Amino acid sequence: MAQFRSKKLDLSCYINVGILRDHTKRKVFAQYETQRQALRYIIRNTTLPQRARAQAQLELSQMHCYTRSTQINNRCIEGGKSRGVLSDFRMARYPFRMNALEGNIPGVKKASW
Amino acid sequence: MAVPQSRLQALHKLQTTLFSQTYNPQHLRTGNKILRQRLRGPAIASYYPRRLATMKDLKNAYKNFEVGVDMQTWDEEEEERLERVGLKKLGGKGAPKKKGAPKAVETKDKKRKK
Repeated sequence: MAQFRSKKLDLSCYINVGILRDHTKRKVFAQYETQRQALRYIIRNTTLPQRARAQAQLELSQMHCYTRSTQINNRCIEGGKSRGVLSDFRMARYPFRMNALEGNIPGVKKASW
Repeated sequence: MAVPQSRLQALHKLQTTLFSQTYNPQHLRTGNKILRQRLRGPAIASYYPRRLATMKDLKNAYKNFEVGVDMQTWDEEEEERLERVGLKKLGGKGAPKKKGAPKAVETKDKKRKK
């Protein structure tokens, strides 16, 4: 959503709209995480009055979808691909292979036995 | 040698006060599980590599900092762009004037179309 997007570009990796969107979602999630956790605590606490818990439920469900962690999807920093991304290296399988063969990724080596 | 239930409960209560735990003998759901969770936000938000500073930022930062020729900076792309714009203006193909801006002096070949 444009309302959350930063006015100035703050990324140095490959950029396409998918990455831009995902980056915005990550920042929004980090910003609203404490609020979400507080609401979640109120909802799960059975010792609190039922009315307060219901209100918290409503409030949590009405928060913007960008504040949800399930919206976030790891993307490849080399090409923006969303599938086949190795989360340890933040790269899709093919750029990972290319970088690994070139020796750009420390500690990664082609297996041979 | 059976120990009475009340005694055990008292011991449990004392233990919780000593080790600063919560005393919850009925096992009510108090949602403390949520409060114990760590915040994942900072780790998640730092997934993509951030751009810290560009040459433009550096130039702007040292704009008023004149020491000598060694500190002078230049931006080749910007210079090329200005040159391109200048050529376009000469050919009468420049950007239109802003609506509210004061009228500039009309040049001779302003209206010429290629």
